[in-house]
Amino acid sequence: MSFLHIDNVKKRFGDTTVLKGIDITIEKGDFLVLVGPSGCGKSTLLNMIAGLDSISEGELRLNGEVISHVHPSQRDIAMVFQSYALYPSMTVAGNIGFGLEMRKVPKPEREKAIKNVAQMLQIESLLDRKPAQLSGGQRQRVAMGRALVREPQLFLFDEPLSNLDAKLRVDMRTEIKQLHQRLKATIVYVTHDQIEAMTLATRIAVMRGGELQQLGTPHDVYDDPNNLFVAGFMGSPSMNLIEARIEKDGEELVAWVETADDRLKLPVVRDREALGAYAGRRVILGLRPEAITDSRSANHQDGIIYEAALNVEIIEPTGADLYVVTMLGGREVNARMRSGTAVEVGQSAPFAFDVARMVAFDPESEARIR
Amino acid sequence: MSHSSSKREMSARARWQAWLPKLVLAPSLALVLFFVYGFILWTSYISFSASDMLPNYTWVGTHQWSRLWGSWTWGIALHNIWVFSLLYIVSCTLLGLLLAILLDQRIRAEGLLRTIYLYPMALSFIVTGTAWQWFLNPGLGLEKTMHELGWTSFSFDWLINADMAIYTVVIAAVWQATGFVMAMFLAGLRGIDGEMIKAAQIDGAPVWKIYLRIIIPQLRPVFLSAVVVLAHLAIKSFDLIVAMTGGGPGNATTVPATFMYSYAFSRNEMGIAAASAVFMLAVIAALIVPYLYSELRGPRS
Repeated sequence: MSFLHIDNVKKRFGDTTVLKGIDITIEKGDFLVLVGPSGCGKSTLLNMIAGLDSISEGELRLNGEVISHVHPSQRDIAMVFQSYALYPSMTVAGNIGFGLEMRKVPKPEREKAIKNVAQMLQIESLLDRKPAQLSGGQRQRVAMGRALVREPQLFLFDEPLSNLDAKLRVDMRTEIKQLHQRLKATIVYVTHDQIEAMTLATRIAVMRGGELQQLGTPHDVYDDPNNLFVAGFMGSPSMNLIEARIEKDGEELVAWVETADDRLKLPVVRDREALGAYAGRRVILGLRPEAITDSRSANHQDGIIYEAALNVEIIEPTGADLYVVTMLGGREVNARMRSGTAVEVGQSAPFAFDVARMVAFDPESEARIR
Repeated sequence: MSHSSSKREMSARARWQAWLPKLVLAPSLALVLFFVYGFILWTSYISFSASDMLPNYTWVGTHQWSRLWGSWTWGIALHNIWVFSLLYIVSCTLLGLLLAILLDQRIRAEGLLRTIYLYPMALSFIVTGTAWQWFLNPGLGLEKTMHELGWTSFSFDWLINADMAIYTVVIAAVWQATGFVMAMFLAGLRGIDGEMIKAAQIDGAPVWKIYLRIIIPQLRPVFLSAVVVLAHLAIKSFDLIVAMTGGGPGNATTVPATFMYSYAFSRNEMGIAAASAVFMLAVIAALIVPYLYSELRGPRS
């Protein structure tokens, strides 16, 4: 029995369809992240789960109950907004306790609950202040306190970290993750930041143009992308997408890739059956930067390593790693090598390809070949 | 030699550049100083002089001021302006807020309705006063129309009823300014973060509580501006009253401004009139100066 079931949910504004039938199911305790570029419909979907936007078609079930047309206050949910949406005329304690007050929770009980939450979020000293006197990070905590105090069945987060500076964002991300683990809460979280999605989620739903592109664990979405969009959207630096030609080589299946002055042959080991039908045709290969590396860093134990010497175009040291750019199939390809690897611009260097991690896409339909 | 002369030329030009704005502004500054501040001082002096029909510069101390405060009519005028201002400010604010809240519900003809409500503000007090005087005149307007339509027992004679006449002035003034106050509140309502209202909905607050606890407290600056604008309009209501009731019936709608006018120009008591004028200036200054101070001081850090 699934905990939250989004069943073929659609949203139309007049003639335009914003959500084209979304199906998502999560279990109790899951952390679902809706991720996608702006305008993909992720915030609309979240607002529909909250009850702030109406559902044009389809059904929403929370813990077995149909909530498609229930008023937001009756859904047993709490939401944290991007702008925090704190009530400026009330103190921090007033803000946190407002939901309980509206639900006619007696005052002593309410004060105890506010105190507990304030303790958990380390904002006890701020309870008597007004929101205008707080910093961005403190407001963020109050907004979370307002959601936590009600102990709802489902938490909704609408890009809660996007108004914070980079350092604070990383800290709060860790804190949200800790809260999720400690409270075993079920969370639906909207973001456009794929790193936030990867670090927080137990389930990721990648969306584009009102359609669900892929639903899966962070590992699924990262290593087993459904299509070119998911492959390019998740991960930073993004997956290398290389034009290639599939050919039969005796019993083997190989992909030919054009280099600057020659051709490179990469053996196909993954999805061989599906790719067999593409023999003699062009495909787009997908390889993560960390799957192209120097031979010492390559994963010789689990991977299938294939080495080739290629010309180095650009080197970008980041401190922890050394990104080396070469040209394959007419496009720049990023390889992530160990820091301090001896390569020089304009010279040839050995690149180790982990072909076990190589995926392929159909250039027309952009779908994964598998 | 030529080098130093060109340098002198340059500095002369710079001096001209520096003086030019002051020179251009000087005439208007002189006119304002003379006709506004000069006459304020002159009027203040007159209020301590023996002036009656014409200015008379004999110093009589606070004689005119004690005559003013001993005057029965001045008492009525102060009482009237107090009743009028209070009703006018409170009604305009409440009605304006109510209209703004109703208009803020994303209704279809909002632009049209906003214009309709705002138009009375485009009229001068004289026009408003004359129109309402016709409308409420029992022999001309509403009452006569009702009688002609067959409702012969209908009676609405507030305009000529000494106890009620001041309220007809309030009605006309409220009719004129409510739309303006509504526009101010509407702008304030539009500035409120929509996510906050969504948050309150999820928190389970009913609509009236969202307004009372969350939205209206945030409109405090609008309330302040509305009250300051309305307060000074109330004190300037002279022309409305002159057009509508002429201060009558009897002294029923006399306010300090009509009092001053009649003492200065028809009762030949220029000294008392000057004292009442200085008093009005003091009241307005007490209202406006703190407001201007808080506005011009700039945003608090």
